Amino acid sequence: MTACTRGTFLALTFVAAVCLGQAARSADAAAPAHYVLDQGKSSLTFSFVQAGAQNQGHFARFPVTLDFSPDNPAAGHLEVSVEMGSLDSGDKERDDTLRGDDLFAVTKFPQAHFSATQFVKTASGFEAVGKLTIRGVTRDARVPFAFRTASENGATVGYMTGKTSIKRLDYGVGQGDWKSTEQVGNDVGVTFALRLTGH
Amino acid sequence: MAVRNTIHRWGAVSQLLHWLIVVLIVVQVTLGTWAADLPAGSKKLGLLARHKSVGITILVLVTLRLLWRWANPTPALPPTLKTWEQKVARVTHVLLYLLLFAQPLSGWMMSSARGFPVSWFGFFQLPDLVPKSKPLYEALLTTHGLLAWVLYAVVALHVAAALKHHFMLRDDVLRRMLPFTSTPGRKP
Repeated sequence: MTACTRGTFLALTFVAAVCLGQAARSADAAAPAHYVLDQGKSSLTFSFVQAGAQNQGHFARFPVTLDFSPDNPAAGHLEVSVEMGSLDSGDKERDDTLRGDDLFAVTKFPQAHFSATQFVKTASGFEAVGKLTIRGVTRDARVPFAFRTASENGATVGYMTGKTSIKRLDYGVGQGDWKSTEQVGNDVGVTFALRLTGH
Repeated sequence: MAVRNTIHRWGAVSQLLHWLIVVLIVVQVTLGTWAADLPAGSKKLGLLARHKSVGITILVLVTLRLLWRWANPTPALPPTLKTWEQKVARVTHVLLYLLLFAQPLSGWMMSSARGFPVSWFGFFQLPDLVPKSKPLYEALLTTHGLLAWVLYAVVALHVAAALKHHFMLRDDVLRRMLPFTSTPGRKP
């Protein structure tokens, strides 16, 4: 091999490598970004009617992983695991009752899950279509949300917010006396504001 | 029976408010003591919700009652009473009114301090009177319980006096607060 042909070969290899690299990068852009929850800056609250009055509580731990790109919502994937024992309704006696067998039964069902692999663009944002499991009961659920990304200190951060409503008795949350909706309403509002960091 | 009070007799409005509040206090004591003995649960929640609603009702009724009292003549105490007896009667009545305000208000504040807002029979939610605070809740719980005993004592005195007037002194002090009775010799 002459010096000239070797030079050409190297140049071609270089060009090929650059092309491949760019192809790989554009494949990256099409794939959804991967996020995990920033627990300290996120909230998951629930509201309910107790004895005719609005009450609320929140969960302290609810790991989330999200693969999502607003340009390509169809490729999204969301997994939420709520640590039911981490609930806090602002009243110890009520928290113990909520953790008890007739309500969340946290010993037997320590986590609630939401898993969505289908995402739809809506007029006001997106909708995650998936399965919600609470107290061992799984049902189809659609959760509307808004999503935006921001660049913070050079890192990509996702903000996912929304609210939805579920019927507690659909999931068996309320056995015995708690099946009655006279003192505690069936409708439970769920509000979330998540800060997700890119990975 | 006249709607308004005269200086000899309580009118229909005053009588209605008086006896309605009597009935509601009996309901309150029943609901409150029953709930206090129950463990946390749906039943306790339901009883306390009613207890709170009835308490707010009493608060409204006693406000109306005082307004009506100010807008009407007050039947005079019997002239046979000694000065100290008149004083005791007045103090007893003032205490009863004070307690009828203090009890619902301490209960309402107690609910606010606990972080369980008060609703009136599920129709509407009342604002919180104090911020959520555990020590404040515990202090108000004690106060609410103590005031209940003070109320029992003052009511006992009030009832005993009414019965004494009726059966021993044989005057019209009790009758003038009762419907369907006449107050002989005192007709205006």
